[in-house]
This record gives sequence, structure tokens and C-alpha cells, in this order.
Amino acid sequence: MKGKRVQTGKYFMMGNIACAEGALAAGCEFAAGYPITPATEIANRLAERLPQVGGMFLQTEDEISSIAAIIGASWTGKKVMTATSGPGISLMLENIGFAIGVETPCVIVNVQRGGPTTGMPTAGVPADMVQPKRGSHGDYEIIALCPASPQEMFEHTVLAFNFAEKYRVPVFILSDALVGHMREEVVIPEADNIEIVNRKVPDIGTDPQKVKGFLDEDVAPMFLFGKGFRSHVTSSCHDEYGKRNLSDLTALDNFIRKLSDKILKHKEDIVRVERDYEGAEVVLVSYGAVSRAARMAANLAREQGLPVGTLRLITAWPFPGEEIEEMARKAKKVIVLENNLGQLYPFIKAEAACHADVSFLPPRVIGEIQDPEAILERIREVLK
Amino acid sequence: MSEIVHPLHRFIRPYVTSTTNCPGCGNGIAAQAILRAVDELGMTLDDFIFVTGIGCSAWIPSPFFDVDVLHTTHGRPIAFALGIKMGLPEKKVMVTSGDGDLAAIGGNHLIHNARRNVEMVVICLNNGIYGMTGGQAAPTTPMGLKTASTPYGTFENPFDISELVIAAGASFVARWTTHHARQLTASIKKAVPKKGFSFIEVITQCPVQYGRKTGSGSAVQMMKEYKEKSILLKEAAKLSKDELRGRIVVGELVEKEAPEMLDELNKMKRRVSGEKA
Amino acid sequence: MAKVRIYRDLCKGVEECGICVSVCPKKLFQPSAALNPKGYRPPEMKDEAACTGCENCMIYCPDLAVAVKKEKAAKGAKK
Repeated sequence: MKGKRVQTGKYFMMGNIACAEGALAAGCEFAAGYPITPATEIANRLAERLPQVGGMFLQTEDEISSIAAIIGASWTGKKVMTATSGPGISLMLENIGFAIGVETPCVIVNVQRGGPTTGMPTAGVPADMVQPKRGSHGDYEIIALCPASPQEMFEHTVLAFNFAEKYRVPVFILSDALVGHMREEVVIPEADNIEIVNRKVPDIGTDPQKVKGFLDEDVAPMFLFGKGFRSHVTSSCHDEYGKRNLSDLTALDNFIRKLSDKILKHKEDIVRVERDYEGAEVVLVSYGAVSRAARMAANLAREQGLPVGTLRLITAWPFPGEEIEEMARKAKKVIVLENNLGQLYPFIKAEAACHADVSFLPPRVIGEIQDPEAILERIREVLK
Repeated sequence: MSEIVHPLHRFIRPYVTSTTNCPGCGNGIAAQAILRAVDELGMTLDDFIFVTGIGCSAWIPSPFFDVDVLHTTHGRPIAFALGIKMGLPEKKVMVTSGDGDLAAIGGNHLIHNARRNVEMVVICLNNGIYGMTGGQAAPTTPMGLKTASTPYGTFENPFDISELVIAAGASFVARWTTHHARQLTASIKKAVPKKGFSFIEVITQCPVQYGRKTGSGSAVQMMKEYKEKSILLKEAAKLSKDELRGRIVVGELVEKEAPEMLDELNKMKRRVSGEKA
Repeated sequence: MAKVRIYRDLCKGVEECGICVSVCPKKLFQPSAALNPKGYRPPEMKDEAACTGCENCMIYCPDLAVAVKKEKAAKGAKK
């Protein structure tokens, strides 16, 4: 595969490779990264493919400089990405907060692995589901997508770039070693059939002191560097024109609220779920690799006449609270399935527990996907 | 009497009414030296992108200079600058930051980008202290000095930052003090058009957190001390290591040709597209 | 011969700063009578006619609060 951004065709492809191809199809021009299992295939692929389309991949001295370099490049107008795993995200969190605070489009792929700390690098465990939302200091909103297949690794990466451009915010892809390393059919469409969104940039000559460049709930245009705007971009608390304010609490309040509202106001556009719970009394809520087991369990249950459905979370953040509440009003029993000790479970329970009985089912062994038979057993238990 | 205008005021961001420096702060002398270099080169600030970290010297261009500026996180301006240079290779990227920001928390990025010899100009305002946070010891604080975080005196060997950057591979390294404002401008004028990583260390007075709090004197006294302690590189070459103790060796310490990263990268890209049939 | 302008409102004071006073080779600055709005005491020139236009005060002022314009080439000016 050489030369073209969009490698239209049908492939038997690894999730990580599909992710890299999604980045290219979305218009990624610059990526930086540091080797880490189980994400390294993405970096290797980008290193090979980006120069073929006039872009570039840099391996930097650490993850902190990877995220810094892509943020810098984003301010020159480039579409940018980095890919790492949990330990790398932990290092990047301060600068991710910076990207959020100064509203920088970028895509961050976390191919999650068994933690905490060095843990088990090859174990596919969604161990960092709340990290995007609460990992960096301060109150903020972020977008995070959970692919469940190599096909979705491609599609969600394209979607991530589009969300990043549209909302001027870092967008996470929360994959894991299972989805990242599995191989399945991936269909890459014609370039014309791939929707691409680009950030709003002011006309040359626009005065950044007169037109808002920050803190607009409907997303301010981005006063890119190198165009004569004399753009003042600061990590300090600032106003709509990038002017630093370190003394007025009303300025801080404005800074915090506007950054969050920019995402929350547009939840309808951003939040994606997959509903299959028409007429169901028991609804299995899951995301990512585990959703494959949930789907299989639901199908088995229906074959046996049990009223079971599924709700798959595609966006983990902003949290799909309304969608979960809507489902819980219709269900009697909600079973949350995660391949961890319950990271989104408390958030799901908070939305659902006043309408339905909510319980949690981890796998027998963290790191394994739940056995569909074990899920069926739990379904029968809750239906008693 | 009031018809003349300061020739560099035109470079100041319109809404800025004064600097945020303490009275007598050496950062102000360096700020002016930078603007004078831009002016004497016949360039405008639109030819530049400034990148800064956290600390008083990070505020040199932010918001003072009327220029594109990215004011980033502590220790990381050089890492962000790399990305900016990748995206806008034709622009001049300049980092102004302090000894703590660049050589303590940011040491790794300083070392690696000097190694890569990426084209950028890094001006390190070395005041030997963490000024912004109230006068804590820095990796450049002299041994034995009582600071806010070393109330009984420091017990660590301090860095020679320029030596570190020379060893890492930068192709232009200079050191001056705020007493040498004109020489500083001259070195900046030399560094800007140079291909490669240019590092200019400026020994600068922090009159409040260093001067007053450690009993080291006023801004004027500290600058007089820089004048007395400084010794030009070629004079220093005649002295022994012992004789040089306590002296500040100033001048253009290293100026050499070495492969620059963006050059090498472009060669590689041309090779790759050459292979593509 | 040179014209010197002191931007009083930008100045941070002869006591707190005082760099211009110190770097003038002819010692032409002295404290002015009035404080500026921020409470600093800017300098004033004792004898502007004696100024050689060396520009030290302008170059060394951290607040860019002194401007010097040479009237004609000052041969004795420091490099």
C-alpha cells in the first residue's frame, strides 16, 4: 500500500492498522509518538504512510513531547494525532489539559492494556475509561469513542478527527489490546464517501481583539499561527480574546463554564449509542470488546424467549446520561458489563438506578471477555 | 520634549500598558535586546512564532510582544516549538524561558532538541532561582545559598547549562549577562538566520527573589557583579580551571556546522517520494 | 547631542530600579520631584545638552521607558 491517503478496498486488517488508515483518510498530516505496547503498530504504520502523502511522523523523546509536538503543529493548521497506552496517557495528561484549555483539535488513541502501572502490556483491558474525563486536573469536558472492531477503529478515527476539528477539543479513541490487535474485515470506502470536517479559521486580517478566538459555546474560529493574526494563546485563565486574567474569579468561572458548555451544548450531535432493546426487560449495557459478548448473549437469550436487549455505548464521554436514563425507564433490569472493576458502572448506575435494578457483571477473570453463558446465567438470575 | 518615540514600542501588543516585571528585572533588558535584534535584522515579529513555558521569563513575549505566541506548560516550550517548526518551517521559532523551566523540569526536551539540532532559537534567562514562585533553589543556584526551599543553604552542584547544551550537540551556543545587552543583541542577530539549534544563555538579575531575599544586592549591584565576574571566552582560555572558579565565561562559546533535523527530514522525504513510482 | 524622552508612566523608579542612573557614563540622571501614578519616582535629566547619545539608558531600561534620539553622529559613543 503506497501513496494514496484513502486506500479504498476490502481488507483483512488489524485494528491498529485500521486506525492508522482512518487517520490518513481523515486528513492527518502530522503525528508524534513513543513506542508502547500495544499501540506501537499505529506509530509504525503512520511512520511509513505519512511521508507517502506529504505528512510526517516523529518519534519523540517521551510521550510528554509527543503530545506537545502535535499540539504545536495543530496551531499551525495541521490535523494531528498520537497513539499510546495507559502509561503514556498518564504522562500526557497535563498537556492534554493544555489542549483542552486553549481549544486545540487533536486525536489521542489509547490502546488500553492491563494496569495499574506497567501491569500486563498485552492484556486487552479497558482500564482507563474515566482517565480522559478526570485524569487531567480541573473541570472539563472531552470526547471519547469506544470502537468494538477493526472496522470501527477505522470509522471512529475518522469521526474523531471530525469531532476534534468541529469542536476544537482533544478526542480520545479508547481501544484496547483486543480490538487493536484483532484482525477482521475492514472496508475502506471511496474517498468521496468519507465525510471530512475542517476547523473554522478566521479570514486573514481579522483582528483577534475584535472577534472571539476562544470560549464560544458554538466554537470560536481558530486564530492559527503564521498568518499575521498575532495570536495570543495562553495556558493561563483567559478571556474570549486570549487575554490573560489571573485575578477576577468571574473570569475563571467564565473560562471553566464556557469550555464545558462548548461540548455539553452539542451532546445531541456528539453522543452515539447503539440501541437494540425494543421490548426488552433486561438490558445489557456495555462498550468496546465486551459488547461483542453482550450481543452474543442477547441473541442466545432471545432464542430462548427471554426479553433481553442491549445498549452499546459508542461515546463514553461526554457521558450518555440521557440515553441511559431513557433506556432505564423502559427496562426492569440493567446489567452493566465491563472488563474491569466497574469504571463507567457508577455513572451508568447514577442515571439508571431510579428507574430499574442495576447490577454489574465483570468477567470471571479481568482481562478475559465475559463468557456469553455466564451472562445468560446472570440474566436468568435477575429475571427470577 | 515628547516628540521622540521609542523605536521598539511599535513591537508591543496594543492593549499592553506596561511590563509585568519587578523593578530592575533583567528579563526586561533581554526583552528589549530581542526586539532590537528583530529590528536591526530588518525583520518584523510576523516572521516569528514565540513559545514559552512557565516562569517570569515566559512572560517576555506574553502578552508584551505583538506576535503569535504559545504560552505552554512548565518545562515544555521546546517540545511544543518542535511541532510548530514542523508545521511552519519557514517561520523563525523562538523560545524564551528560564533556567528552571528549561533545565530542570524541561531538561529532557532541551537535551534532545539540541541533539537533533532543530532550527530554533532558545533564549534561557538564567537567574539562578525560581522567581515566580517566591525564590526556591534552582539547578543553577550556587552551592550554599539560602533560598526559600533551602533555608540552611543549597547542597547540590549547580549546572552549567551552556556546557550541557554544547555536549548535546547544538550548533550555536552563546552566553552573556544583562550587563552585555549590546552583545546579546548581536548574538541573537547571528542566531536567528542560522540553521540549527541556537542556544543563548543570559545571566540575569532577579532583584527581589534573588537579590533582596538572599542578600545579594539590588538590580544595579547584581549587574555590576556580572560585569566584574564576566570574562570573555578567549581570555578565559588563558586561565586555569581554578582561576575560573566564580567567573562567568561569556561570548559565543560554540559555532559550528552540523546536520539540522528539518534538513535531514526533507532529504528523507525526497528519497521516499523518489522511490514512489 | 541627543534628545532623551522619559516615559514617566512606564518607569519603575530610581530607587527600586535605577539602572539608567547607573549606566549613564555622564551621570546625567537624578530623581525627579514627583511620583508617577504607580508610586514610583522616575528620573529626570540634569543636563540634556551634555548627553552624548550613547543610548545606554535606552538599551538597558527593562521597561523600555527611556528613548534616545541622536541629533548628530556621536563619535564618542560606546559600541
